[in-house]
This record gives sequence, C-alpha cells and structure tokens, in this order.
Amino acid sequence: MLVDLQGPWNPLFGRLGLLLEVHYNNPVLFFAFELSVVVGVILLFWATCARKWGYIWREWLTTVDHKKIGVMYIVVGLVMMFRGFFDALMIRSQQAIAVGPDSPGVLGAAHGYLPPYHFDQVFTAHGMIMILVAATPILVGMMNIIVPLQIGARDMAYPYLNALGLWLTVVSAALVMIALFIGDFSHAGWVGLAPLTELPYSPGVGVDYWIWSIQIGSVGTTMGAINLIATIIKMRAPGMTWGRIPVFTWTSMASNIIALTSFPVLGVTLALLTFDRYLGTHFFTVGLGGDLMMYTNLFWIWGHPEVYFVVLPAFGMLSEIIPTFSEKPLFGYVTMVIASMAIAAVSWSVWLHHFFTMGAGPNVNAYFSIATMLVGIPTGVKVFNWAFTMYRSRMRFDTPMLWAIGSVFLLISGGMTGMMLAVPAINYIVHNSVFVIAHFHNMFLLIVYAAFGAVTYWFPKVFGFTLDERWGKRFFWFFTAGTLMVFIPMYTLGFMGMTRRLDYVSHTAWWPLLNAEMVGIGLYAISIACFVMQLAVSIRDREKNAVGADAWGTSRTLEWATHSPVPYYNFAVTPIIHDRDEWAWRRKHGLTSLKPDRYVDIHMPKNTAVPLVLGVLSLAFGFAMVWRIWWLAAISAIAMLLVIIYRSFDKDTDYIIPASDVERMEKEMLARAERVEGNAPAPGGAAGGAYASPQAPSKRHQGD
Amino acid sequence: MSSHSAESVDPGKVSLWDYEHHGHDPISTRTLGFWLYMLSDAMIFAALFAAYGVYVRNAAGGPTEADIIHPIYAMWESVVVFTSVFAYGLGMAALKKGNRAGVINGLLAAFALGLVFLGMEYKEFADLIADGAVPQRSGFLSAYWTIVLTHGLHMIFGLLWMLVMLFQVMREGFTQNVVYRLINLRLFWHFQAIIWVCVFTFVYLKGVL
Amino acid sequence: MSREKFPGALRYLALMPLLFLGGCSTQHFWLFNPKGPISETELHYLILDVAVMLVIIIPTTLMVIWFLWRYRKNAKTQAAYDPNWTHSNILEVIVWGVPVVIVAILGYYSYVGIHEVNPYNPTILASKAQSGADPLEIDVVTTDWQWLFIYPKQHIAVSNELVIPTHTKVDFRLTSTSVTNNFFIPQLVGQIYIMPGMRTKQSLLAEHAGEYHGFSASLSGGGFAWMNFKTKAVSQSDFDTWVAKVQQSDTHMSYADFEKFARPTVNIGGKTTYFSNVEPGLFTQVIKAAKAGKVYPTPNALTENMQSEEFLKHSN
Ligand code: HEO
Ligand code: HEM
Ligand SMILES: [Cu+2]
Repeated sequence: MLVDLQGPWNPLFGRLGLLLEVHYNNPVLFFAFELSVVVGVILLFWATCARKWGYIWREWLTTVDHKKIGVMYIVVGLVMMFRGFFDALMIRSQQAIAVGPDSPGVLGAAHGYLPPYHFDQVFTAHGMIMILVAATPILVGMMNIIVPLQIGARDMAYPYLNALGLWLTVVSAALVMIALFIGDFSHAGWVGLAPLTELPYSPGVGVDYWIWSIQIGSVGTTMGAINLIATIIKMRAPGMTWGRIPVFTWTSMASNIIALTSFPVLGVTLALLTFDRYLGTHFFTVGLGGDLMMYTNLFWIWGHPEVYFVVLPAFGMLSEIIPTFSEKPLFGYVTMVIASMAIAAVSWSVWLHHFFTMGAGPNVNAYFSIATMLVGIPTGVKVFNWAFTMYRSRMRFDTPMLWAIGSVFLLISGGMTGMMLAVPAINYIVHNSVFVIAHFHNMFLLIVYAAFGAVTYWFPKVFGFTLDERWGKRFFWFFTAGTLMVFIPMYTLGFMGMTRRLDYVSHTAWWPLLNAEMVGIGLYAISIACFVMQLAVSIRDREKNAVGADAWGTSRTLEWATHSPVPYYNFAVTPIIHDRDEWAWRRKHGLTSLKPDRYVDIHMPKNTAVPLVLGVLSLAFGFAMVWRIWWLAAISAIAMLLVIIYRSFDKDTDYIIPASDVERMEKEMLARAERVEGNAPAPGGAAGGAYASPQAPSKRHQGD
Repeated sequence: MSSHSAESVDPGKVSLWDYEHHGHDPISTRTLGFWLYMLSDAMIFAALFAAYGVYVRNAAGGPTEADIIHPIYAMWESVVVFTSVFAYGLGMAALKKGNRAGVINGLLAAFALGLVFLGMEYKEFADLIADGAVPQRSGFLSAYWTIVLTHGLHMIFGLLWMLVMLFQVMREGFTQNVVYRLINLRLFWHFQAIIWVCVFTFVYLKGVL
Repeated sequence: MSREKFPGALRYLALMPLLFLGGCSTQHFWLFNPKGPISETELHYLILDVAVMLVIIIPTTLMVIWFLWRYRKNAKTQAAYDPNWTHSNILEVIVWGVPVVIVAILGYYSYVGIHEVNPYNPTILASKAQSGADPLEIDVVTTDWQWLFIYPKQHIAVSNELVIPTHTKVDFRLTSTSVTNNFFIPQLVGQIYIMPGMRTKQSLLAEHAGEYHGFSASLSGGGFAWMNFKTKAVSQSDFDTWVAKVQQSDTHMSYADFEKFARPTVNIGGKTTYFSNVEPGLFTQVIKAAKAGKVYPTPNALTENMQSEEFLKHSN
C-alpha cells in the first residue's frame, strides 16, 4: 500500500472488512434497502411469470436502436430522479427537525435523525444524482430519440457505441445505489471540496464511490457526445442543410460540443484526485507542493460548462414546443442558433464565479463577473424570441405548453438571481448560502419543466398514444405549487443569511420558513403520485388515445413525418428535405402521405450483447477499485480489453431488411394510422398551423 | 424569412423520398468520430499541461526540474517516436497500393520503434525511482510522472492496437473495417507524436531554459 | 385552456407561498440589516443591481404574460393571427442591444463595487475609519471544527468567540489547519475562504455595538454545522477591559498546546476558552506546518453515532 489506510485491508476482500468495523446499520438505510429490494423482486417476478426475459433480452438489453436506448436513458433518469427526490425529502425533514439547541435527536444524531456524516452523504448524493444520473440521462435520452428523427437518419452514427454509453451511465447509477447499502457515499458535497476529499479527512470508501461513479459515467457521456456530433454532421437526409436543421438539434449540437470538450477535464481532475487517494501523490493535498485551489479551478472548468450542457437541450425543447402550440414558426431561427453557440462559447470563460470569495484580486474577479453576465445577453435573446413566437400566434395550452411556459418564467427568475450572484460585491454575502441553492434549483427546475414538457410532447411519437391531459395538468399544477412553496422560502432564507449544507440549524428564526418548505415537499410528493396516475391512466386508455404520425396536428419538424410509434428503421424511405420546418411545409402542400411509391432494402445494425457485457465488467471494475480489491479490478480491466478486441473481429454486425418486409410492416402501420385517424386532428386540417387556413378549431383541441 | 413565404409547389413534381440514399460513407464517418475522440483526448492533455504549469514550481524542497530532466535523452526519444510514425506512414503508402507485405512491414517497424521508446522511458523512470524522485515526493514530481506516463500509457495502447491490426491485416486483408482502423490508428499514432512534441517542449526543453 | 375545474382551482394554490414574503419581520433578514460599512455597501449593490435588472426583467415578464393572454386560441384572437411573422430586423437590434446595455451598466457597477469591498483593501473603509487609530490585528485559525482568534499584539487568543471594538478598523489574517473554511459575519462583512497552508485577508469595521452571528460558510466535514462564533462589538474601553481580563487567564497557548487544540472536535456545547501568553508567530507556524505536510486526520469513528463514546471523546 502506498497510502495509509484507516481500517483493515486484505488481498482477497480489499477493504470490505470495514463493513464489520464500522456499523452501517442505520434504520433509514434499512428502509431504502427494503424498498429497493421489494421493487426489484416484484419486477423480477413479473418478468419471469410473464415469460418476458426473452423479450427483454432481445428488444431492450441488447438493442442498438437509438429510440429504445433513449427510452432506457429516460427511464433510468426518472428512477434516479425519484431517488434524488427521496434524498431531498430527507434533507428537508432533517432541517425542519434539527433546529435550535433544544431540538430532539434520535438514531444516533444529536439533533434530528441524521448524524452529520450521514446527512452530508445525503445532499452529496442528491446533488450528484440529480445532475449526473437524473437530468443528464433524461436529456441525453431525449437527444438520442429525437435528433436522428429530426435529421432523417436511420440511427446514430455509431449504434454500438450508443448502447455502450447507455450501459456506462447505468453503471454510474448502479454504483451510487450500491453505495447506499455496501459502505457509504462521499460526504464532501457534489463538487467534492478539496482537501476534504483527501484521504485523511475522508478515510472511508465514500469518496471513492463518488469518484468511480462519476468517472465511469462521464466516459459514457463523452462517447455519447462524439456520437451525437458525428450523427448531426454525417447522417443528415438529403436537403437537410445546416440552415434547415431543427433548433433542438442545433442546441443538442452546442450542448454536446460542450460535453466533448469539458468532460475530459473532469476525467483528469478526478484522476488526479484518485492518484492522491490511491498512490499518495500530492496534487490537491495541503502539504508537499499540493495545490487545493487547483482542484477547485479544474472542477469548475468542467462544472460550469456542465450546467450549460444540461440547459441547452432544454432551450431546444422549448424552441420545439412553443412554436407547435403557438401554431406558428419559431421567431428568429438564425438568432436562436447563434445564441446557443454563443452560450456554449462563453460558458468556457466564467468558471471563477464559483469562488469569487477565494481572495483573488479585484480585477480578476471583475473580469469573471463581466464574462459571466455576458451569458445573460444570448439567453435574453432566446427569451425574447420565444415571446415573439407567441406574438400574433394562436396558443393552445396543452400540457407540454404549460410546462414550457413554466420553464420560461423559471428561466427569467433564476437568470435574474444568477446575475445577482455574478456581482462579487453581492456574491460575498450570498455565496454558499441557500440563496445559491435556490438559484440553481430554479435553473434546474427549468430543465425539469422543459424535460417533462418534452416527454409529454414526444411521448406519442415514441409510443403511439398521448399521455392523459387531465392527470397531466394535475401533475403540472401540484408540481408548480411545490416549486414555489419550496424555493420562494429558500430565497427568503438566503436573505436571512442561512448558509447551505447545514445538518443542524442553530438559528430558530429560520424554522417557520423551513416548515413551509416541508409543505412544498408534500406538494411535490402529491405531484409525483399524479405523474404515476397519469402514466397508469394513459396506458389503460392507450387505444382511445392512439394517434397517427402527427400527434398534435400542428407540429413542424421532420420527426413527425414518420409513423407513431416510430418503426425501428425510422423512415421506410429516406425523406428529402425542402424546408426548415419540413413537416409543416408538407402539410401546407398536402404532401402528408407517408406512403412512398415503392420500398427499398434497408441496411440496419444488428443487436449485440457486447455493450452490456462491457457495462457489467466496468461495474465490477468500479466496485473493485472502490474497495481496493486489486485482483478483481485487474481481471475486469483485462476482460474489458479482450472483449473489445474480440468484438473487432466480429464481421456479422449488420443486416438487410428486404424491401418486401418493409412493405409489409409499412402496410400494417398505414392501416393503424387509418384506424386512429379520428383520434387526432387530421394532418393538414384546421389545426395545421402556419400553413393551414384559419378556420374552425380541430376536434381534439377545442379552444376556450 | 424566405423559406417560410408561401411559395407554390406542384405536388406532382416534388420528390419527397430518396430511394437511392445509402446514407454516409462508413469510412469517413468512422474517421470523423475518431477525430472527435482525439479532440477530447487533446483536452485531457491540455488540462494536464495547464496543471503542470502550476505544479512545476511546487518541488517542496525535493528534486526540481533541473535535477531530473535530461533533454538530450528526451531528444533521442523524440527521434525514435518520429521514426516510428514515419515507418507507419510507409505502411500506409503501401496500403494505397494494396500491398499487404508493405503494410505489415511498416507496422512491424513502427511497433518495434514504439517498443524502443517505451524501453527508454522505462529506464528514465527506473533511474528516477533509484534517485528517490518518486511521485509521492512532491506536487511537482506527481505532475511530472502523470503527464509523461499518461503519454506513455497512450503509447502502450497504440502498440496493443498495432498488434491487433497486424493480426487482422494478415488474417482478413484490406476489408472496410480493417482499412478504417488502419487510418484511425495512423491518426492516433501521429497524435501521440504531436503530444510528445508538446511534452518535449513544455516539460523537457522548458526545464532547462 | 381546458375547462376542467380541479386544475383551475389548483392554480391559486401556487400563489400561496407569496404570503411568506410579507409575513416575516425584517430583523431576521441579516443581509438587510447591515451594521458596518462593508455590509452596507454590499447591500447597496444588491439593491442597485436588482433595480437595474428589473428595468428589463419586469417588462419582459409582463410582455410574456400579456402575449399568453392576448394570443390564446379562440375566436376573438383569431383576427390577429399571423403565422408568417418570423423575423424583424428592428427587433433583432433591440433584443441584442437592450441586454448589452443592461449588462454594460451592471458590469460597470460590478467593477466599482468589487474595489469598494475588496477583502484585501476595501476602499470603503478608508473613508470610514477614525483617523489616527491603528487598525486592530487579529489572526484567525480554523481547525476541525473550531475557531481560534489570536490577538498577536495583545498576546491573547479566544476560541469560538470574537470580540472587537467599534469604530476601529479590524484587519484579519486567516488560515486553516486542515480543510477549507469560510469566514462570514453577515451583518458586518462578506465571505472569504480560509485555506490550509495559505493566508487570506479580510477587514471590517463595526459601527454599532452589539452581538452578531458569525460562522463558517463552507462545508468542512462533520462538525461544520456547529462551527459558530459570537461576534461582540463593544466600545473601545470595554474592549480594553476585556483584553486585560483575558490576559489574566491561566490557560496558555504554545504551539504544542495548539496541536492538542487542533485535534478534531465538534463544538456542540458552544464552548469558548480564553488563552493568555500566546506563542508569538503561532499563525505563521501553523501555515508552515501545513505546508510541510502536517495533517489532523478525521478518525473513522467520527462517521457514526453522535452519542457513541468515540464521538463524545471528540466533542466539547
Ligand atoms: C442549469 C443550470 C444553471 C444555469 C442555466 C445557470 C445560469 C446562470 N448562473 Fe448559475 N446556473 C446554473 C446552475 C448553477 N449555478 C450555480 C452558481 C452560480 C454562481 C455562483 C454562486 C456562488 O456559489 O457564489 C453564479 C455567479 C451563477 C451565475 C449564473 C448566471 C449569470 C447564469 C445565466 O446563464 C443566467 C442567464 C439568464 C438570464 C439573465 C435571464 C433571462 C434574460 C433576460 C430576460 C434578458 C435580460 C436580462 C439581463 C440582461 C439581466 N451561478 C450553481 C452552483 C453549484 C454549487 O455551488 O453547488 C449551479 C449548479
Ligand atoms: C424535487 C425537488 C428538489 C428539492 C426539494 C431539492 C432540495 C434540495 C435541498 C434541500 C438541498 C440542500 C440544500 C442545502 O445544502 O442546504 C439540495 C441540494 C442540491 N440539489 Fe436539490 N432539490 C430538488 C431537485 C433538484 C434537481 C432536479 C437538481 C438537479 C438537476 C438538484 C440539484 C441539487 C444540487 C446540485 C444540490 C447541492 C448539493 C451539494 O450541496 O453538494 N436538486 N436540493
Ligand atoms: Cu457557473
């Protein structure tokens, strides 16, 4: 061993002996464990009873279909968001109980029910999960599904790499979940404050879980970024020029350029920290030439672009939803594209605003302050363009539009508080306070709103039926009530001086507002129930809610120019693009038939289990590294290498769907479309948007 | 916006579907992806170089740049790397002619020279250990080891890849898969040489200036 | 918009939290109750910044709301519908131009403001401090998880309590033994990091006698939430009396004593101790030791039960 480890280590089991020495027997954990096990057993039981294993293996686990991969990304993201919500519930309830020196303490805590190290793990896990294995997968999944459809591609540029990216993200989530039961998680905040993450101050395995979970997941994200950029550059259908690419695809491009360039920096940062913890080097230690501020710099050089990595696709979603429900093309397409790229570019030069209070000179701080505020300009342009899209429009307020509107308001308010934080003279009194927490939840919720809007908006495209509107609206309003109820008090507490990450609240004057936030969490819980109901009701009514290709009747971009649900080959014949809003253009000219003159052979990638195998091996590798079980780590690393080499000899990676098969499948889908015709507005009908004649409203979307 | 004005089209005349479209050219798509990967790899080195620029001052009383850096030795290492890249280039010239033996010879030469480089690097670091200049000694040494060995690790992967390619060329000849991999490996190998130039300039040369 | 009753009513529920804004008395809003020129200036810029931004935020918000209402889909709004309006050069200039102007103004104030409250040399204090009086020097050392305030000229030190005279500029030098902390007294001065092996600076001036809350604003591990200290601003004469009293204390502080003091301790009891005969140069010695690799490791045992014996051994 190159470093001094507290606690036992042996060659066979690594540090697993720690489990016996430190008692990880917290009832709170036990509850979480029970819950996960029960849910897991139910799912396994269902799969076995319903004889679904073959289906799951063939259609999901080994798939390379970008839509299925996207769906799995989103499911993982939603499940992890639920876990993150549980963490939030624990943070909030601890802070509502542990107030003042007289507050009671149970389960080994002096106040409340979570001792400090446990509480610290909870918010660290919450932050890391929400950003990296909830928000990011949901957005990546959305891009995965929609971008190839929007540019008329059959699949991503590298379908196999795409599946690998998914499984690495799943491994990242799995490691966080394992940390809940076997060992502990990092207690140093989602940013991993140095030198708190160094071995002397974090002697357990928590920080190692945090490192490997992020490291493995970020490799997956980088692969996804390469894939998406290459797809957009190389896989566009004929006529899809750069000036015609839908805005969501443009923002995905901007976002993935950020990911491609910034995630490697995170990788390096974590690797250096790993060397410190595993090899005893001196990168971020205090003594012997270490430089802890180097960590902070490197982390935020990734961390700041990362927040724009997640917000840009959300902006893209808004740019698709708002025109559809305004029945009008997006205002200022070119400006929108320029603004996205500008945000991506500026995002690289502002990282220091996360530590104005480090003691840098006033001119350095002033430079980063002004650079930060520059982002407000292109973002503002986006807000104005959405507003002008609404100007002289005909707005319908279906659920996706409600989410989009909520998102715009969150952007305006969160942006304003961000601009306050960007002024050092103000930052000095609100840095590390719950004001910052409120600012970025404001921003992240903008993304969550946009993502829920996008899920509702594109759901019928992927599954062929719409989500229930009534429960969807309940979900939206309860969620919004929860948002306001949690985060307005939080801003207020910021002005009262409350700092973040407190497991014990010494000042009793904050108590009423903390309780108000508790109520807000309750509203969130109700909204989640509404969401579950929405899914259940929609699945029950799927026949009634079935829709054809153009689910909303006013959508504009290419993804609506194929069947719903989208067949695995996307388009029977590659479409030729004539306009920026191709589908709206076709609708205008009455060219909405999805039946080409003839069918041709389609070339498709074959399913493969290799990505899944690599995923399993990297999980073993991550786990072994966390617990320092060197033999297992070595074996799994070598096995990964061998599997990759083995795969490179596999020549049987694609196949041809004969034209006759395509024709047969297309016939079925056209027949289905005919059958569900009545459920949705007829394409080119009254709700046909910009190119339709302004007549009677459609059957489904009655105006009020 | 002109594209949104209501120009008229004759529905009978526009073609909506492209029956001949076979997508993209697989080799260029693969190569583009590899360029993108190398961009991300370049970011790794950019971050390491930036860090090195800071740590180079943090010798913490231990050996400094001047004590451990031997630019002449490193220059010979550079010569070896560049000869290896050149040999690989010869192999690729043979690929254009479809000359299998030429490709194999080029790869073999590049591989052997790569091994020589790693051997030289091994000796350098064995000497450092003997002198007690281990990465645990100071922030400067941590950074020095990390940056040079990250490049070394890339070289090891390159050699492994070359072995696999040698095998595939012998077994399968110039199939599409083999060709794009050979092209990507050339990019990778060149890239390692470029990174080495940066290491040589920023670490070795700067160390004695 | 749908006519369903239930979600309609729910919309009003969403407005409920606004009640909280009015309901709280202002004395608890530390940021709005500054007691020294630095905090005052920071509040001043906060208000200024928001005011400038509202010039654009309020109209934008109102515009969006108005559009939402005006162009909702129904027979009455049909007439205004214009699906071909997707570009306008004049608007283009406005949407880029107005934010540019606003950001320029904000940037200017940001630049001016940072110099006024710059922790290393706050120009705002130069005009406020009583002329002639020397600034009081205090060295701040944070440990896991306590505060030590050293008054080097007076050769005294206090743990977890800060006493300062009013109307006198106080200059702080700050460092930490183990991990990063953050020095913050909301009503007197903004935050500055306290980093091991390094020295940061901060200055403040209290204009009103009173007791203010101070704490670490940066997570530093298990005992972080208890890392609070009272800041007592007292008159110069009271301060002098207090110094004399502390100088009488039997508890001394040499570097060896400090090494004992700096072991991980959770200050749950809020204990303060007075030290006399503080070893000169203690502050620099702490920095030097940290740079040479001195650490105060956190034991695994601290990760568990706060009522366990191991834990209690580390609390105070
Ligand atoms: C998706 C996430 C996201 C987004 C989009 C943003 C957007 C912004 N952020 Fe925030 N942030 C995000 C996530 C975070 N931020 C943080 C912290 C943080 C800090 C440091 C706080 C501190 O620790 O002391 C600053 C200074 C900012 C500034 C900004 C600014 C100026 C923007 C701008 O992009 C906003 C631009 C939008 C505007 C301005 C509104 C719309 C514009 C209009 C209507 C036009 C006109 C207006 C003007 C010209 C004023 N952020 C942290 C803290 C992490 C941690 O410490 O744990 C996180 C996670
Ligand atoms: C469901 C609604 C949510 C609630 C109620 C909630 C609540 C909280 C609370 C109470 C904290 C701790 C505040 C403190 O340190 O004092 C917190 C921290 C945090 N949350 Fe959330 N959160 C929610 C959703 C999200 C989402 C969607 C994201 C990101 C996409 C997110 C990201 C974070 C991050 C990064 C932190 C900081 C963790 C740290 O300090 O290291 N949260 N949240
Ligand atoms: Cu930022």
